[in-house]
Amino acid sequence: MEGSQTIVQAHDLTRRYGEGEAAVDALAGLTVDFPTGRFAAIMGPSGSGKSTLMHLLAGLDRPTSGTVTVAGVQLTELDDRALTQLRRDRIGFIFQTFNLLPVLNAEENILLPLSIAGRDVDRAWFDQLVETVGIRDRLSHRPAELSGGQQQRVAVARALISRPAVVFADEPSGNLDSKSSGDVLELLRHAVDDFAQTVVMVTHDAHAASFADRLLMLADGRIVHDGEAASAEQALDLMKAIG
Amino acid sequence: MGKLVLRGFAQRKVRALLTGIAIVLGVALMAGTYILTDTINGAFAEVFGAVYKNRAVVITAKETLGHESGSQPYPITEATLARVRAVPGVEAASGGVVTGATLLTTTGKRISSAAPSLVDAVQPARFEAFTAVQGHLPSHADEMAIDQATAKHHDLHLGQRLVIAGAARARRYTISGIVKFGSSESLGGASVALLLPAEAQYMWGKPGEYDIINVAASPGIFPTQLASRVRAALPATLIVRTGAEEAANQTAELEEKLGFLRTFLLVFAYVALLVGAFIIFNTFSITVAQRVREFGLLRALGASRGQIMRSVVAEGLLLGIAGSAVGLLAGIGLAPALDRLFKLFGADLPDNGTVLEARTVIVSLGVGIVITVLAGLLPAMRATRVPPTAAMREGVQIPPRPLPTRRALVIRFVAYLVLLLASQILVGGGATIVVLIVIMARGARLTVRLRRGGERPPRHYRVIPALGRTIGLIVSWRGITGRLARENSVRQPGRTLVTALALTVGLGLVAFISVLAAGTKATIDQAVSRSFAGNLIIQNSSAGGGEIPGTIAPALRSIHGVGAVTAIAFTKGRVRALDEPGTPVIDEDSPLTAIEPQSFTKMYKVEWEHGSAATLASLGRNGTVASEKFARAHHLRVGQRLLVLSASGHHVTLTVRGIVSEEAIGLLSNLTISRALARSAFGQREDGVDFVAYGAGANGAEVRSGIDALLRNEFPQAHSQTAAQYTQDVNKKTDKLLLLVYVLLALSVLVSLVGIANTLVLSTYERTHELGMMRAIGASRSQIRQMIRYESLITGLIGGVLGLVVGIVGAVLVTKFELSGAGYVLSIPVGTLFVMLVAAAFAGLLAALLPAWRASRLEVLGALASE
Repeated sequence: MEGSQTIVQAHDLTRRYGEGEAAVDALAGLTVDFPTGRFAAIMGPSGSGKSTLMHLLAGLDRPTSGTVTVAGVQLTELDDRALTQLRRDRIGFIFQTFNLLPVLNAEENILLPLSIAGRDVDRAWFDQLVETVGIRDRLSHRPAELSGGQQQRVAVARALISRPAVVFADEPSGNLDSKSSGDVLELLRHAVDDFAQTVVMVTHDAHAASFADRLLMLADGRIVHDGEAASAEQALDLMKAIG
Repeated sequence: MGKLVLRGFAQRKVRALLTGIAIVLGVALMAGTYILTDTINGAFAEVFGAVYKNRAVVITAKETLGHESGSQPYPITEATLARVRAVPGVEAASGGVVTGATLLTTTGKRISSAAPSLVDAVQPARFEAFTAVQGHLPSHADEMAIDQATAKHHDLHLGQRLVIAGAARARRYTISGIVKFGSSESLGGASVALLLPAEAQYMWGKPGEYDIINVAASPGIFPTQLASRVRAALPATLIVRTGAEEAANQTAELEEKLGFLRTFLLVFAYVALLVGAFIIFNTFSITVAQRVREFGLLRALGASRGQIMRSVVAEGLLLGIAGSAVGLLAGIGLAPALDRLFKLFGADLPDNGTVLEARTVIVSLGVGIVITVLAGLLPAMRATRVPPTAAMREGVQIPPRPLPTRRALVIRFVAYLVLLLASQILVGGGATIVVLIVIMARGARLTVRLRRGGERPPRHYRVIPALGRTIGLIVSWRGITGRLARENSVRQPGRTLVTALALTVGLGLVAFISVLAAGTKATIDQAVSRSFAGNLIIQNSSAGGGEIPGTIAPALRSIHGVGAVTAIAFTKGRVRALDEPGTPVIDEDSPLTAIEPQSFTKMYKVEWEHGSAATLASLGRNGTVASEKFARAHHLRVGQRLLVLSASGHHVTLTVRGIVSEEAIGLLSNLTISRALARSAFGQREDGVDFVAYGAGANGAEVRSGIDALLRNEFPQAHSQTAAQYTQDVNKKTDKLLLLVYVLLALSVLVSLVGIANTLVLSTYERTHELGMMRAIGASRSQIRQMIRYESLITGLIGGVLGLVVGIVGAVLVTKFELSGAGYVLSIPVGTLFVMLVAAAFAGLLAALLPAWRASRLEVLGALASE
């Protein structure tokens, strides 16, 4: 594991919404690096800019100023087509609301990124992922026939299938009960430890954050804490301190 | 609530626009139809008003049969004219003749193509509605005047010689004048040649006879006064009217004839409106489903079911009003386009200005609004069933309709019974069967629901997914976009079905008509090759058909190399049964075919129910042969006697000698008599068609060139055709009509395209979240577009396939049960139907343009955030 190499880099990021007097800075000159093979959790109260940061890092939104670099490519210089291609090939996504296509079965949903890219399936990798997330017997089922936890595990497999440079997870456990929530977070942890996957997760759940290696705390568009992810209690204390 | 409706409308502009178009096009065609026919009527009323302006009284002959038979049993002659002139108060009187004729240049080129061409006897100045703009009205027998529009269009000039052919040999005339009609360049679009009365009579084929007498009153005498005096002086067989009455009478007659055109066009308007109704129903159903939360909130805040219902109905009403109003305006623009369309297909109708009657406005708006509101009614009723809890929870389904109470069941049963009886009494036959099937289907559904305790039984939802997935195979090679399109197209089978059905209506009619047309062609082909044994067919060459002089047949016989000629004439009579015991009651106007018995059987093969070729040969002066259909309708037997009142007013007793099988060409009509009888007792001087057979050993090409030379020089109104050329000609006419129908049906197809587009816009709106996710994980804009295009393609093809099935099955049923008697051949135009399917696919792709573009422009973040 070569933890030293930086895979995602943000420099002096600003994101302003609105204009004139009503203008709000969701991010105000934020700089941060994410090394490969690490699991980072971003926390912060509502309006702290944590979601905005993730959107900018993942190339879903464009900063007002500053730069984002993913796997050596500067996103701010890419047009829509190149950005789409970068998301397709280098980035994995896990959403709070699972976001599986209801007309496809679990297997097709997992393979969706490869289908979109028109790439061949690495069958061994697929099998390994299916074993890891534990949905082998559910592969031919459609999302409507799966539980929330199962759906999110399919979504995790989908995020990993294209071996992305980085996986962004937006409140991955937000819609799950505590048992399923623990399963999914374990999976992410597992992906980092065993597959050397880089994961960046936004959450407001201190318990979820405790699965990460590193905890970033945002408030008013700035980083107010950057350190080892400790226990859930410590994370909660930090949150309270920001208030 | 009213404010809410307006706001909602403003917020859903694209949808409102697309849904509005559904109603706009149908209403536009409807309004355009009314405006066009009113305009034509108005133009003719103006024409007739101008013609009869200076005629205090006009005298015409009463016709034995319906006015259209063109016969004139009680001739108006110079003697009649003299009697009229002797009536006190008559200042002047003159006889007139108007008759159809063929105008040609000296090189044999026809003048005037689409509109009719007429010969008109020039009248004294006081009666003449035409005035010379160049030269002078004809004053010598070899002079003619031509209307300004025709002169302009065909580049005619004073001193030029033209050939005119009517009921006799052609004659040549020199243009002495170019005339205008009142202030317009032509008489309602027709080409008119003014000739001296004697020349016009020659063209009419009745020397010494007039078809009208124009009378001017002495000063101080009122037209009505004069009319009664003239009436008293003439036999009752002549009709005396004032000029104003005659103008009104002619206008009314024309209006009746144009009624057909109006009905023809309105059928297509109603088809378009029906398709529009499908789309409005579908759109409202989808939006109600999408607004469940909003309705739940309103209910939670205390809105009553009635208020919810009214708010949805009000939206329909608003849409109906706006759509119909725009449609009416579009109709004003469409009317001239329809006029041009008809010109393109060979019907030149006059049009001066645009006539917009109050009726047009009321009917167009009324029908448009009522259809829109009715189509939105069912979805509105569904909206009232949204429970208030829908405001709080996600994904609340609208509960099914509650089970009917015992009382409601009884009411429904009675209503069905009344409906069934009403349809049997008012329409009868097929309508009752259709109603019965619908009622039984509803009954079956209700039974299932009752058995399941109110649960909605699964409907038609197995066919559509299967069909959609099968059709979807054609895009499955396109990978994930094709796969998703295939699944998405059948995600809501009911929605897809209604969307596709809108296309099915138009394409089903196209398929139906094209199969019938192909059958007609095949039938004519087969019948001609089976029945016709001659070499040439001589007919009037004008597009609208017409008769040929009876003198052609003898002239043909004298050409070297002609073996045999047989002339066939068509006439009319009123058929009655003799007052004998056991005879059926008949009293109807009927067409009759007149043949030359000896030569006819040699050139035309007839199939018999009763009788043989010998039967025809022995027709004589009192024999007739009935068609199988006519005989069946009136229970005629061989040996039965019929009393026929001929077009010229004679009574003839005919004995049925034989019965011929139904034949597809329709040469032998209800009754067939000998041509000799038709000439003597029916006054039928002209023929419909001549058949020619070459003599044994004659050189066909030489004989034909001899025949063609005769026709060119003396009878330019006629031309010769081989059987193959004749069939081709008939087929060409069928194709022309077919094309016109296709063009008019294209409007309905256009409406259904809007429907597909609308459904797609609404569906992609529902799937915003999915689209956002797909974009986030790397689907490109063009992949999104492709996915939606394919979905639309599949929907279009579902509509196309259903249309094909419905159309072909319908046409096969009609052929088997309605047309089988006439030896009708079924023929499936595979090429045309394939083109139709391809068109359906293209229609789908076209409909997807806007929705696909919209979906691909979605902002990823916004789409992901939408809930």
